[in-house]
Amino acid sequence: MATVTNWIDHLSADEVVGAVYPGAGSSETLLVILGIVIWIGWHVITARSESEELSRLARKKHGANDHKNNITDW
Amino acid sequence: MTDQLGALTTIFTEFYYWVTVVLMFLIHVGFCMYEVGASRYKHHQHTLMKNTMLIPLVTVTWFFFGWWIYWAFPTGPGLAPSIMNESAALITDESTFSAKWYAPNTEFMAINLGDHISGVFWAAFLLFSWTAASIVSGAIIERITTFAFGILAIAIGSVFWTIDAAWGWHFDGWMLKLLGYHDAYASGVIHAIAGGFALGVLIVLGPRIGKFTSSGEPRNIGPRNPWLVTIGLFLIYTGFWGFYAACNIPIYDVGNPDDYGLGKEYWTATNIYVTPTTLSGITMNFLMSLSGGLLAGYVIAKGDPFWTYSSGLAGIICASAGNDLYHPIQAMVIGMIGVVIAYKLHYWVERKFKIDDAVGAVAVHGYAGVVGLIICGFVLNGYPSSGYSVGAMWDGSTYASINPLGQLIGAFIMFVVLGLIPGYILAKILNGMGKLRIPRDVEIAGLDYEIMETAKEDEKAVSAATK
Repeated sequence: MATVTNWIDHLSADEVVGAVYPGAGSSETLLVILGIVIWIGWHVITARSESEELSRLARKKHGANDHKNNITDW
Repeated sequence: MTDQLGALTTIFTEFYYWVTVVLMFLIHVGFCMYEVGASRYKHHQHTLMKNTMLIPLVTVTWFFFGWWIYWAFPTGPGLAPSIMNESAALITDESTFSAKWYAPNTEFMAINLGDHISGVFWAAFLLFSWTAASIVSGAIIERITTFAFGILAIAIGSVFWTIDAAWGWHFDGWMLKLLGYHDAYASGVIHAIAGGFALGVLIVLGPRIGKFTSSGEPRNIGPRNPWLVTIGLFLIYTGFWGFYAACNIPIYDVGNPDDYGLGKEYWTATNIYVTPTTLSGITMNFLMSLSGGLLAGYVIAKGDPFWTYSSGLAGIICASAGNDLYHPIQAMVIGMIGVVIAYKLHYWVERKFKIDDAVGAVAVHGYAGVVGLIICGFVLNGYPSSGYSVGAMWDGSTYASINPLGQLIGAFIMFVVLGLIPGYILAKILNGMGKLRIPRDVEIAGLDYEIMETAKEDEKAVSAATK
């Protein structure tokens, strides 16, 4: 996975290769796909949990000032 | 980098943008404090998290496609040819500033020993993106779902503002060539578009429960914590310094044959359009337009801190389009004019159309930005919009000079075409899906009800255990 294993060899080359991260030149597209899956997945998971939370709270029909009973003193 | 002077210039520029990014982070800290200060107790934590989560959402999408859009879209596409490849298509060829290098799977979108600039430049623009999304966030507090806001934040932060930046801020942008558009510190490309987008969303979203009486008279839902609002706005001012610096290139040879081709070296700071200005001069203008905004805001709002502080911001925003060239007193007066118009328009729109802009974001950013663009067209009438060439309006192959009509059209594009219309359409879609607004009973109870209830139970449990 290591792109650089010896800095002296790497920097003394006639043309220094700029990309030095692990998997340079072979993994970028896979990493982007992984990132997009995480991004979209986050929306799906949080949208579902937010809908459940809002529905649950709406059913309880609290009044506009009921929250004042829950203000903590600590 | 093999010579010391070249390395010094490169590393200085890299560090310069890095510092601007850190400073601009304070804008977001300020927006978070401001929103929490402006919202009511029962909505605090959700309000904070909504604005906080735009950071990762806009950042990852800016990485995936936002930055690419900026470099791909300067030609429209199809509206004016690029000066780099003389094509009006999307710029995805092999040229130096092509979007090809900024696709998320290229080696330049990572640590690359051959590129010390792309990452910090990417980050500086990203911080502008957060700001655009955060402007919208404040207007819609206490009644939008986090899901809907996330989608809207991505739309304004990683799509629509970056399109407008490609069109009106990029050195190769078609709006410079056809219209002579000039907007050095983003009256339009950040503020007018974000204000317009917020207005589009607000039209669909509707007001907070209780904002208007049954006869339609607005009630004031003032900031719950004016001190938090104050500190928030001070932090936004502070971050705005970084924003101004980030809109410049700190050291650049405009005489380079690849640029103006003067036939001699001419090192200077430049604005985003690569035309000369000085960091010294824009610092004066920043402070004078801030002062103009504060002076006017204090008078028109009769000393109300909420509006006076916001007016300082609106003053800067209004003068920003031309603050690379204005005289400081011009900047001050323009800031004052923008504040008066924005303040009056805010209350007129509120009463007339029942628009509940909780923090005055549409006014401070949208109206002040639009006014600033239009004034800039008159005050800077005849200045070149670019250093590369000067030509007539609608020519396309050369750059038109700055002029009132071009700025007016530019303001319309920013506020309405790329701001209000997309905001309205997206809000309509989200509303149609039933995902835009929180249920009425939740809005009444408070978004934080369950969090507060749990905290109270925890408190009782701990109290019982310690008796």
